[in-house]
Amino acid sequence: MKNLTPLAQTYLDRFDAARRSLPGHASPAVTALRESGLARFKALDFPGRKVEEWRFTNLSPLTKGIEAMEAPATSLPVAEFKTPHVMTFINGRFSHANSALGELPKGLTLTSFASELDAGNSTLLESDAEDSRAVVALNTAFMEDGFVLTAAENTTLDTSILIRFVSLDGTADNARHMRNIIRLGKNATVTLLEEHAGADGHAYFANPVTDIALEEGARLNHYKFQAESNTAFHLATTDCEVPAGAHYENFSLSTGARLSRNEITTRITGDKALSSLNGAYLIRGHQHCDTTTITRHLVPENESKQVYKGILDDDAQGVFQGKIQIVPDAQKVSGDQLSRALLLSDRASVAVKPELEIHADDVKCSHGASSGELDEDALFYLQSRGIDGKTARKMLIDAFLADVLDEITDEAVRSFFAAITARWMEEV
Amino acid sequence: MLEIKDLHATVGDKEILKGINLTIKAGEIHAVMGPNGAGKSTLSYVLAGREGYEVTSGDVLYKGENLLDLSPDERACRGIFLAFQYPVEIPGVASATFLKTAYNAQRKFRGESEVDAMEFLKLVREKTKELDIKDDMLKRAVNVGFSGGEKKRNEVLQMSLLEPDLMLLDETDSGLDIDALKIAADGVNRLRSPERAGLIITHYQRLLDYIVPDFVHVLADGKIVKSGDKSLALELEEKGYAALSAA
Ligand SMILES: Nc1ncnc2c1ncn2[C@@H]1O[C@H](COP(=O)(O)OP(=O)(O)OP(=O)(O)O)[C@@H](O)[C@H]1O
Ligand SMILES: [Mg+2]
Repeated sequence: MKNLTPLAQTYLDRFDAARRSLPGHASPAVTALRESGLARFKALDFPGRKVEEWRFTNLSPLTKGIEAMEAPATSLPVAEFKTPHVMTFINGRFSHANSALGELPKGLTLTSFASELDAGNSTLLESDAEDSRAVVALNTAFMEDGFVLTAAENTTLDTSILIRFVSLDGTADNARHMRNIIRLGKNATVTLLEEHAGADGHAYFANPVTDIALEEGARLNHYKFQAESNTAFHLATTDCEVPAGAHYENFSLSTGARLSRNEITTRITGDKALSSLNGAYLIRGHQHCDTTTITRHLVPENESKQVYKGILDDDAQGVFQGKIQIVPDAQKVSGDQLSRALLLSDRASVAVKPELEIHADDVKCSHGASSGELDEDALFYLQSRGIDGKTARKMLIDAFLADVLDEITDEAVRSFFAAITARWMEEV
Repeated sequence: MLEIKDLHATVGDKEILKGINLTIKAGEIHAVMGPNGAGKSTLSYVLAGREGYEVTSGDVLYKGENLLDLSPDERACRGIFLAFQYPVEIPGVASATFLKTAYNAQRKFRGESEVDAMEFLKLVREKTKELDIKDDMLKRAVNVGFSGGEKKRNEVLQMSLLEPDLMLLDETDSGLDIDALKIAADGVNRLRSPERAGLIITHYQRLLDYIVPDFVHVLADGKIVKSGDKSLALELEEKGYAALSAA
């Protein structure tokens, strides 16, 4: 048998000791799940670059093992996004003291995944046993906490929920295998913002897996701000099922991590369903940011849209892989995808792989991809009117990003994200 | 105001300006005419400070200072304005934002307080009215989807707003209809004063009926080959540049 990567081997070595303290250890069902996850992970290992889906993202800086770095532990930063509903996870565990769930409407529950596992509630994870993705299998073996959000039929929450995943140190067992579950009943509406953050200099591996199921007519605005430490690894996997009349809106803003991947799969299973996946990534230095989407239209008459924009400075590397699948007979489907990258340095690069797998003939699909530098003519034009070079560059970068931020329906989140991007640009 | 001495400039590896000498005093308007590819736009870009237009020898003094040391925005703030032959489209940047940013940048440079959105809007409205420009243009992205003539009017609008000391107009007349030409010329004439000067590049004598120049120069193959008063433009109109080089 071939050798496992060093990090995979540590996970195998660590499992026996770890599972005795992981949540749900008293539950045979949970234990069985963890064991099956470990077995699959052992067979798979972390994906190497020969695995087609990971061709552009080289995990070897992670898999050779994370070096703990000398960086002082920090304290929890105050949340910048203001909302009465805040759930906080510190170093991978729910922190009651730093959470304020506020008054949630009847029918809506927000609990910690660890408490669900400890209660032996493994039914949340039925689909897990067959998952063939290595990072998901690893998560199943080691999942330790996360949020579980359920909303009963017709439940509406007007204000956003903020979920914070904050890493305050980067030592010892420096992994965060978060497992999040979202279940929205018929016509329920919820807006959720996830923040993933860690202070620069802390090295750790965040491996969140989020499983979402919407029922008919439900709407989820699902936003994510990834601002992990500049020495951290962040590999996120999100799955969402979108049935008839449901609307899943996702927007991911990524500015952090040394290496990150945001993989989202939506399964569109009903008519008049809409999957809207958007995002922006702003990276510099040696950061690597991978966005991978898989959109599966499984029945006729529904829609998917995607707009992703990246701004890359220095030696940063971006990846966009977008697959749109339309199965036979899924007629009258529309699928649009756009990915654009702005390269602020000639060492920055982006790899783009759009994939359309269309097996129905009466569909409307489009994809566009571009990458380029700031328009020198436009820069000169602005400067020739008295606008200094730095401001002129900022105006053009702003203009590049503006329309993707417009995809965010929630106004508060939109202005929060606009503030973050503006701050990032201060350093351009 | 402007002194150009034996100016040589290259674009890429090609020498385009081959020894230009030209002095423009405050209060004067100079017209520059000349065949396609002679280097007229190149001269205007060198004066405005465009990257890639390399001065290999010679000097340019503006208000007694070495102009070539200054960045394009510093030149603009010190009063140089170039109306582009081909104005640039800038998707995603609203015209109003652009104009206000430029206007305030120049005020700030002069140590004046910045104007707020309301005050600025009032000012722009005055100018758009003078120049017969539709206000909805301000909401659109800079030059995006503008017709050829609209782009040129937009250049004149910016110039009227920024009130430069040295106006450089590169074929602002091409693309303008007859009425618009007159309106644009009025815009330039309103700015004319004993403290200001202008360099007007054009192919057509007609513009010079409206903006009457003090001097007319012919630029051919990177050099000024002939200078005269406004009658030179009429003569060129009649005989063309071929007659000039034959003479
Ligand atoms: N980037 C470039 N690379 C190489 N040659 C260039 C470049 N830009 C301009 N040129 C050349 O420089 C010469 C002068 O161009 P310029 O635009 O200054 O001419 P012009 O006098 O303004 O002509 P027109 O009347 O057609 O506007 C032309 O031969 C042109 O092809
Ligand atoms: Mg020209």
